Amino acid sequence: MTRITLGGAVLRGAVSTALVASLMSAPALGAPPVDLSKWSPEYVRSIAGTQDFDTAGDCAKVTPLDYKGRLTFWYQGVFEGDPDLLRQYYKDFFATFRKTYPNIQLEEQALTYNDLLDKFRTALLGNAAPMAVRLQILGGTEFASKGYLQPLKPEDVGYSTEDFWPGALKAVTWDGVTYGIPTNNETMAFIWNADIFKRAGLDPDKPPATWDDVVKYSKQIHDKLGIAGYGLVARKNAGNTPYRFMPQLWAYGGGVFDEATANPTYKQIELDSPQSKAALQASYDMYVRDKSVPVSALTNQQADNQPLFLAGQLGMMISHPSDYNVMLDLQKKATGTDKDKAQTVIDNMRYGLIPTGPDGKRAVVFGGSNIHILKPEYVEGGKVDEPAAKAIICMWTSPEWSLKMAYAGSNPGNLNGFKTKWMKERLDNIKFLDVTTSMLPYGIPFPALPQSPEIMNIIVPDMLQNALTGAMTVDQAADDAAKKVKDLMGGGL
Amino acid sequence: MTIATGQKEARRELQPGSSRLLRNIWEHRADYAYVLPAIVVMLIVIAYPIYYTIELSFFNTPPGLQLRDKNFIGLDNYTAILTSEVFWKVTWNTLIWTLGSTFISFVLGFATALALHRDFIGRGVLRAILIIPWVISAVAASYIWKWIYHSDFGIIGAVLVELGLADRPPNFIDSVGTVLPSLIVVNIWREFPFAMIMMMAGLQTVPDQLLRAAKVDGANAWQRFWHVTFPHLRNVSTVTILLLAVANFNSFIIPWIMTGGGPSNASHIWITHIYELAFGRQRWGVASAYSVLLFLILMTLGYFYVRALGGNERKDGSA
Repeated sequence: MTRITLGGAVLRGAVSTALVASLMSAPALGAPPVDLSKWSPEYVRSIAGTQDFDTAGDCAKVTPLDYKGRLTFWYQGVFEGDPDLLRQYYKDFFATFRKTYPNIQLEEQALTYNDLLDKFRTALLGNAAPMAVRLQILGGTEFASKGYLQPLKPEDVGYSTEDFWPGALKAVTWDGVTYGIPTNNETMAFIWNADIFKRAGLDPDKPPATWDDVVKYSKQIHDKLGIAGYGLVARKNAGNTPYRFMPQLWAYGGGVFDEATANPTYKQIELDSPQSKAALQASYDMYVRDKSVPVSALTNQQADNQPLFLAGQLGMMISHPSDYNVMLDLQKKATGTDKDKAQTVIDNMRYGLIPTGPDGKRAVVFGGSNIHILKPEYVEGGKVDEPAAKAIICMWTSPEWSLKMAYAGSNPGNLNGFKTKWMKERLDNIKFLDVTTSMLPYGIPFPALPQSPEIMNIIVPDMLQNALTGAMTVDQAADDAAKKVKDLMGGGL
Repeated sequence: MTIATGQKEARRELQPGSSRLLRNIWEHRADYAYVLPAIVVMLIVIAYPIYYTIELSFFNTPPGLQLRDKNFIGLDNYTAILTSEVFWKVTWNTLIWTLGSTFISFVLGFATALALHRDFIGRGVLRAILIIPWVISAVAASYIWKWIYHSDFGIIGAVLVELGLADRPPNFIDSVGTVLPSLIVVNIWREFPFAMIMMMAGLQTVPDQLLRAAKVDGANAWQRFWHVTFPHLRNVSTVTILLLAVANFNSFIIPWIMTGGGPSNASHIWITHIYELAFGRQRWGVASAYSVLLFLILMTLGYFYVRALGGNERKDGSA
């Protein structure tokens, strides 16, 4: 029989308390990874707020806090479609970085999604790039394949590869080498206005189950109420277009290549397949046949759909969880009766899973951003301050900041972000977050090819525009796009 | 005379001009020293980019490779451009855009200048108001017009629907048929004040006594305009038209911001197409070949502009 003395009990209690406390504040490197096989909204809720992280302490192991250096840094920042909440977190991040690393002279520059690639490519041609850059997920492979980026893996900044989504790491891997670290990863959701559904004779609590239903619902809304049903977006050179059309294309069983399969090879072009044409036909039916979507879809972006939705002039759209906060921000700016109308829309805002295709396939773009370090020869001045670059990367990709910087619109790139107290707070504050986290397992990354930006930003929107304007038939538009992809992959002029 | 001395003298006889030129330069060496910094800057910022663009136009620059990995393909870029369907579509758009914008801006500007040349109450205020479109930033104007034209919520569409003149808002910029004329209207709105100012300045040079003499001789208003006023404005008209044509050929902001060249390339003009080829698709070689062709066209327009200016100066007796 074991005798438990008071002193022993106190000692054991103190040790176990210290052990739990130390586990709670364990650095990210030592924390057990998030179990992706258990992924569900319930699992996300169960791990939220279970662990504390010491960001400055973790990053001090990568770059000492008293390190003296200089860093030039470009990043895809907040834009007009983002909520004010996110703006504040961006400000807080840079203020905290300067406080944590007071001797690093940081020269940061924010650029919008649509401007960043153009500016960055131009700077690279003149060897005037920044030392570090945060790019949209599409950009990683392009610049890695051309040799502009330095190899960079999570372990280089104190984290583990298991701390990040495998799909996200694929987008920064070229020829088996990792060239960047995901900062945030996201999947969008389907949003509808329950009041519009009700007035159009639809079940206000039931979103369209399939894309064919979206076409039907959109027509019904338009015919009954005279407003736009679904928020189609088809502008060229705008990231919004592929993020909304690709889920539709994949759900119908189509694709640019075989990117929607488990092990894509990107060898066979699928844009002209019957499945891809069926997806394009659905857009054609909404825009041309039923005229049930905004006419301005060809020149608009999602930021233009947001005020439409808030004005009660749009029934359904695909977007981020942040749109709820954006609506709240916009509502605050409204005056008179518009304010009440906006409140009615917000009260009737519902989120659901993105519809499936005819065969029950559900898909969404696995989006996000990555952070990279440039090779010195492409940087202004020919020098890269690696410790300074690693300091900011460690901080941005930490569980704390990768969560905070994605607070309203995305999800933390570092999976340990889901364990933080801010995730718990976020689950309470950000409405409909469950829906978008539920969509994550359906996420399909864009093809990890250097040609992806051109395919997604130019060829796919061109295909849509050619079909929707009547410049080509649906078949011709799909065939034309497939030919363009073939020429592009063949290195044609 | 030795053979060598003979050759030297023969060379001197053959190059009297060049030695005179060298002597001239030497005599004015201080003047040349003053302009040297400007020439050096121009060589760096103008001549080198032109040379590099011409060089690049003979190379294939695959989008998957760095620019330094380019490979020489001779005239293939030019052949590819001239045989591509898009080239002819974009060229046709550019011609409609340039000619439409230039001609209508000029006519409207000229008409307004004639109207404002007369003395009436509020003329100064009206002049100031009419200049506003020209001084407004093109970027701001493009965004404003994008909303005015908005196919769902544009003010024009709303007014037409409200007045019962249309069932639904007209589709200005989301239709391949109407997008280019709609953009031309915006361009004219922005440019006609420039033509107006130029022509107003020109009108002030028409001698009053000639007009009065013509009136005494019994010429009516049209005859006075056609036989007295217009001949005096010929040179300023030529210069205005050429400046407008060059500016329109080089236009970028309005079509890029309002439509990005779409829908379905219906509002792509040369400059927006070159931009997309270079920065969106990274076909630096093809984009350079396009730029070289554009450069040649603009140089031709520039030649006529300089000639027109020369004509002006000769008439003024200043050259």
